[in-house]
Amino acid sequence: MSLEIAVHEPSCRGCELCIDVCPTKVFELDAEQRLCVVKHAEDCIACLSCAYICPSTAISHSGYHAVKNFYRDAEFCEKMGKFL
Amino acid sequence: MSEVTINTEWLSDCSGCHIAIVDLHEKIMNVLQAVKIQRCPVLTDIKDYPKATVGLVSGAIRNEHDRHAAIEMRKACDIVVAWGSCAVFGGPAGAGNIHTPEEIVRAVYLENKTTVSAAAPSSEVSPLESVVSPIDQVIEVDLYLPGCPPHPAFIFEALSALVEGRQPEVNRRSVCAKCKRQMVKTEVTAIKSNSEGIPDAEQCFLSQGYTCMGSVTIDRCLAPCPGNGVPCTGCAGATMQILTEPNRDIRTEIAERMSRLTRIDREAIVLSLERGAKSHYSYTMASSMIGKKPTFHIKKWIEDENEDYEAGGLA
Repeated sequence: MSLEIAVHEPSCRGCELCIDVCPTKVFELDAEQRLCVVKHAEDCIACLSCAYICPSTAISHSGYHAVKNFYRDAEFCEKMGKFL
Repeated sequence: MSEVTINTEWLSDCSGCHIAIVDLHEKIMNVLQAVKIQRCPVLTDIKDYPKATVGLVSGAIRNEHDRHAAIEMRKACDIVVAWGSCAVFGGPAGAGNIHTPEEIVRAVYLENKTTVSAAAPSSEVSPLESVVSPIDQVIEVDLYLPGCPPHPAFIFEALSALVEGRQPEVNRRSVCAKCKRQMVKTEVTAIKSNSEGIPDAEQCFLSQGYTCMGSVTIDRCLAPCPGNGVPCTGCAGATMQILTEPNRDIRTEIAERMSRLTRIDREAIVLSLERGAKSHYSYTMASSMIGKKPTFHIKKWIEDENEDYEAGGLA
């Protein structure tokens, strides 16, 4: 499965923080609608910087190789699937 | 499918979660067609714990009574839902963990500065436990539904899914995702307190220099506060990003975003949030995910603020 990146548009506040942090300039601002849109998905390296900075948690990635994060809160990760 | 039965129980909380069921209004009829509500402190007069399919437990464990009630609910119910921020994270009562029970009793009953002092109750109410605990510290929890209270839409979806035996449709987005304020970059250079000035009604609070917790708070409310002129106080608890990553935190995540939206220095924002930590962390500090983060030094932050205050200059 190839890497995909998506912005949940109703949640985007157009703050441009994803544009600021993306190292490969994947995003562009649609000034008219005040939305950050994915313009160059092929350049995404799945660093997830945009997903973390997005105030709305509106950016999601799929089909990337998840690097094991040794600094995760293991206790909470076990509970996360149970959150409604 | 046999009838779905529900018990609800109310531990250390304000009753808001139970009232949120009533706020389903006519939608509650859809729920009632499919379930039978048994024990429910606001609706029925059942005092014991009949066997039930689903148990909704609101409130934190604050005293011996809460502990007993939580254990009884676990014994009686097949599925236990920690319902509301108090049950999931400890809620505002968690701020009590900064003090000992003796200090709290002294401040509330014996040396109260605003009412006549009186002895602490010695009967009917069981004594405070040494700390406030989210319910999963005492009983096993099957599902978590944070919110203060969770918006009826989320309760309805959770109950419907349980009744229909399917996965509930939930998202993990933040309050900003539902807030319609414009998040723009500004030239603001200083943090404002909430009582300072009149905020612009269209622009994001962070852009204006006001501390708003929308970006670090999971949306279980549909953003009514920022939509009505009040910055988010984080009542549904932190986002999954903050809860899973020990190196991310309420204060650093807000500072990261606010310093990019304004001209305010990141460190100044972190310091300001630390000084107001009792408010900013109040809903979640009883939870180990927040309270035991190695970077969470609330006692020191409060002492620092008190020292500055005594010295005559609040930072």
